[in-house]
Amino acid sequence: MNDQWTDRLSEYLDGELEAAQREALEAHLGTCAACRATLEELRGVVARAKGLEDRPPKVDLWPRINARLTPGWQPGVSRDTTVRRFTRRVSFSVPQLLAASIALVLLSGGGAWLALKPDAVAETPQPTATTFTAVSWPSRTDKAVAELQEALTRNESRLDTATVRVVRENLAVIDRAIAEARSALEADPASTYLNLHLANTMRRKMELLRRVNAIAAARS
Amino acid sequence: MLTTLAAAVLVSLAPAAPAPLQGQTDTTFAVPAGASLQVNNFGGAIVVHAWNQNRVKVHAEHGSRGRIEVSLVGGTVMVKASSRQGAPSVVDFEITVPATMALTLSGTYAEITVDGVQGPISAETVEGEIDVRGGKGIITLHSIQGSVTLTDASGRIEVNSVNEDVELSNVSGQIKAETTNGDVTLTGVTSSSVEAATINGDVLYEGTIADGGSYSFSSHNGDITVSVPENANVTVTAATANGDIDASFTLPFTGTPGKRRYTFKLGSGSARMEVESFQGDIELRRPSELRDRRDRRDRRQHNDKDHEEY
Repeated sequence: MNDQWTDRLSEYLDGELEAAQREALEAHLGTCAACRATLEELRGVVARAKGLEDRPPKVDLWPRINARLTPGWQPGVSRDTTVRRFTRRVSFSVPQLLAASIALVLLSGGGAWLALKPDAVAETPQPTATTFTAVSWPSRTDKAVAELQEALTRNESRLDTATVRVVRENLAVIDRAIAEARSALEADPASTYLNLHLANTMRRKMELLRRVNAIAAARS
Repeated sequence: MLTTLAAAVLVSLAPAAPAPLQGQTDTTFAVPAGASLQVNNFGGAIVVHAWNQNRVKVHAEHGSRGRIEVSLVGGTVMVKASSRQGAPSVVDFEITVPATMALTLSGTYAEITVDGVQGPISAETVEGEIDVRGGKGIITLHSIQGSVTLTDASGRIEVNSVNEDVELSNVSGQIKAETTNGDVTLTGVTSSSVEAATINGDVLYEGTIADGGSYSFSSHNGDITVSVPENANVTVTAATANGDIDASFTLPFTGTPGKRRYTFKLGSGSARMEVESFQGDIELRRPSELRDRRDRRDRRQHNDKDHEEY
């Protein structure tokens, strides 16, 4: 697949390409099955994002996550390396697409599942695209974040008080950023930038919570 | 091998009379080609140097309760600090390794310094700075409360802190740098894939913009400054909620500018760059301007220092 064209597919979907670029891309699509397939996937993601409704995931993943965060669980070394895999962001630059993609991952607690999944739980049903399709992302993400925060509250006695203070301060920094992004979004709900920014900021919060929980759990 | 190393350490740890308040461990041993090093130190320092020998030298300074375990397991030299009783001991390690040795260094209250190693490096601490010069391959550096600095490295680089700055200079490869409450500074970068993000801090990028490359710079509450070479072929998307976008050259907008988001193309536009700050300003500058700015700042700091000394 040609990265140059792949990166332009989202703009193509958004109708942001200039005429010459659009024609060149369409010519390329005629010869590149991979790009055609990717384009169809992107169309599907956008369609699903537009049609989100509130429905719980088919598998409630949180109890398993929660169990692994409780005192007494001995984490494997591989736990953190699993989630620290170096992921190149899927950089389709169409804002709706990226926002939708992030939202779909964050939704339904699937983001938390991905963030906390140790290697050893291969038998755990993996969330699939269909799992993600039916949730209202702010509330679901808020719930996942709240549960991660509860886990941290339980675990933070294992951490140095200075570390706890620093983590809380940084969570407050992120919370302020989230509040500001939400406030701006209320005034301009159609802004793709603001949607994307909010999703990214919430992702950062989940990553920090996950990381600190992993550190605390490793000290059990 | 395990027996040999353990014996060496035990000899060095054998208590003398009277028992010393401060202990010291020294051991040097040959390692097979391709061996890696894993160090776990709860508190203190981990300093790693490189040399052109297939041997590892471990020097450790610790309290009288401190215990140093050195072993070779499956091609990995494992160095671990522990305590004979009670709270974990604080140990200062100084380890010299073959130049291409892969390193995995971890600690809790540990400062980590690596100098001159040209292999993969993983370093993680909670409360302590990480300062690495060198590294090749997969390089991951993580600290919660300490700053992270990486220079003269190449490969797939992932660096992050939470409460301090992240600084990379003279690096190449695939680069990801993040912090929450601090600045991200990237200078002398040669890369076709860069991600740099902070929530509460500034982002500075001085480096190449490769044709077909991908670049992403974001902050919530800080300014972003990016150098854009005169010959860059890049499509830039710049977005801000409450800041300004300013460039020292003409921005040829393409498409319809959004309320907060603007796209413009330079040259062929083959590279992609996203620059986003919610509260801060976005500055696009030529490399020479940023160099001049940095030189002025350095001179000012130098003068301030002279003045303080006077």
